[in-house]
Amino acid sequence: MTTRRDFLRRTSAGAAALGVLGAPALGAAQGAPTRVPMKLTYWTWENPQQRPWQKKRIDQYTQLHPNISVEFQYFAFSDLGKKVSVGYATGTAPDGFTTGDWLMPTWLTRKLIAPLDVQQLGYGSLDAFRNDHAPAFVAGAVHEGKAYGYPLWFYGVPLHVNTKQFREVGLDPVKDEPKTWEQLGEVAKRLTIKDGSKFTRQGFKWAMHASQWTAFQFNPILLQCGGQWFDKHGKCTINNEAGVRAMTIRASIARKYGAEDPADSLATAPVPWMDWLKERCAMFSSPPIGPLAVKPINPQMEAEGYYKAYVMPGVTEDKRYSTCYGFNCVVNANASKEKQEVLHHMYRFMMSDLRDCWIATAPLTLARKSGWTELPEVKSTPNIEAFLRAKDTGVFLPRTPVWSELADALHRAVQKVMLSSGDIKQVLNEAAAEVDRATAELKKG
Amino acid sequence: MRLRLWGVAFVLPALLFFAFFKYGPMGWAFWLSFTSYDMLSPPRFVGIDNFASLAADPVFVQSLQNTLGYIVASTLLITLAALLLALAVSTPVPGARACMSAIFLTNVMPIIAVCLVWRFLLHPHGLVNQLLAPFGAGRIDWLTSDTTAMPAIVMVTVWRFAPYFMVVFVAALAAIPAEYYEAAAIDGARGLRRFRSITLPLILPQLFFVVVVAALLSARLFLMPYIVTGGGPGGATRVLSMLIYETGFSYLKMGRAAAISVVLFAIVLALTLAQMKLFMRDEEA
Repeated sequence: MTTRRDFLRRTSAGAAALGVLGAPALGAAQGAPTRVPMKLTYWTWENPQQRPWQKKRIDQYTQLHPNISVEFQYFAFSDLGKKVSVGYATGTAPDGFTTGDWLMPTWLTRKLIAPLDVQQLGYGSLDAFRNDHAPAFVAGAVHEGKAYGYPLWFYGVPLHVNTKQFREVGLDPVKDEPKTWEQLGEVAKRLTIKDGSKFTRQGFKWAMHASQWTAFQFNPILLQCGGQWFDKHGKCTINNEAGVRAMTIRASIARKYGAEDPADSLATAPVPWMDWLKERCAMFSSPPIGPLAVKPINPQMEAEGYYKAYVMPGVTEDKRYSTCYGFNCVVNANASKEKQEVLHHMYRFMMSDLRDCWIATAPLTLARKSGWTELPEVKSTPNIEAFLRAKDTGVFLPRTPVWSELADALHRAVQKVMLSSGDIKQVLNEAAAEVDRATAELKKG
Repeated sequence: MRLRLWGVAFVLPALLFFAFFKYGPMGWAFWLSFTSYDMLSPPRFVGIDNFASLAADPVFVQSLQNTLGYIVASTLLITLAALLLALAVSTPVPGARACMSAIFLTNVMPIIAVCLVWRFLLHPHGLVNQLLAPFGAGRIDWLTSDTTAMPAIVMVTVWRFAPYFMVVFVAALAAIPAEYYEAAAIDGARGLRRFRSITLPLILPQLFFVVVVAALLSARLFLMPYIVTGGGPGGATRVLSMLIYETGFSYLKMGRAAAISVVLFAIVLALTLAQMKLFMRDEEA
């Protein structure tokens, strides 16, 4: 007797043999995965572009398969992981959900998510799956030779600049692109306008509103300085020489160049780039910002297009990279086999129309390498080269089960350095000790 | 006997409610404090490990200090402000009652909105600093300096809750017979003397109530520091209730979070017992 799984495997393998199912051409899986009525639960995070698009694709899927219904729920970005944890604790976790890739170790170390059958997702092999995604993404989604996350979006963090303000101070937005942190400091200094002690305009601004942002902005500087978050024994090493150097660079925009006021910001969790959009700062680093995000806050900036994105600076010009992070669809390990199969089918369907995805969610880059970058809609997107380069050259966040503790400890350290003039070495020592305590507790179980 | 059974039947729903939704979870939390539990795998008994490790954790110690400071400052200032407001609006002048209603409005506003508005008011270039500028005050980083952030949170707390307790004092003041003041006036007692010898002793039960409830409220307060400062800068405004939330839901350490909540419970219990003893002694005297 042929099961649905066998059928899907055979069709996938056959298609791969015909060269149809190479990585670039991932069409929607054909046929109904089940004919019996099935109700699935799916949770995701709120975002004005990504959440509605996911809902639309899931609705389309259930229309194609009327026997399948999906209870779709969404939560604030920072709450989704907590909701899922509570769901697991109470036996109400969804059958499938999206997760930030930095949380993958949390689920994996406790075996809460199921391995995915890459053939059911349209790939001939795990290698084909690996090759079709940025290495930084694969590092988070593949564990012990199995894929656990089916990628949605994955982006780097470019530097967004206001070209009108560049020109105002005699800078050329092309020639004067800051390529090193020192150049960024010098450019930021020129862009800064002060009225007494009050900043009328800050040259560059670091995010200070959330620990996750603090961590992903600090991550590349630490790596560029030759540092790392943990040594091979799992001891936190952000307080070593490289960490101190990285924090010194982080603090230099305010301390050395006087181009930033860390206490003065309009940023909030949903709109961290508010200062930049309101033209209160000339440069800001964040995931790709496109016209849809600019227009509601600053229609003039959007209409006149006086903004540009660069790849982030580095300690040297050859070390220009940013953090990359992304979102995966995952499957609850406790879901029945039948539900897991249908979720594979549904996820594949969701990501089978990349053009539609791009139109709805641009300029948030997709994790997949193939099947979308050559689309005219993509090529015509402003700053797309910088966005793609930031994604393809980016480095991943530390994949650690004490990620939340790490991000919070670093955030407190940055606050102490930037807002209370704390001694860099001392506050990093405190942060490292905090992370080590968390690691030790985790090891105790 | 039948009557007694009827009585039991009537109180049974309330008893069950408390058993399941109040004392049950409290007992569960107490038990969890002796376990290692990440919500994703079954709890494992670890004895007093959670409590022992708290003492050596600077983050916990800092949060404990913040909490105690916050409770003391908020309770004192809420009580003082509520009493002063009550005395002011109890003055027989036109418009006093309207003022009371206006002041009480601060208490009916959604707390999230209150917190967000105060975030903007206390911004380095916000209204508070602008109002202080003509008096020669320089820029004060209310929410981003480790010396002013906690006082700012206390200030917002007082602004929010003092009007609620003002109503309690207004009711107490209204219940004092006017004859006492008339007699005192004949004897030549005025102002502070009148307040100390008549008003204060007669509102002592309400004062006790306000102090206890304000302390309990302050000990459990979570949203105010969570929204206004996020516990920052550098943990300067992180109180135990925030640490419980972070530890439980961000770090998935429910056993440890339960241990911190037991400590918080012990603090609240000790405070309440101490206050009860103090006030009872005063009343007896």
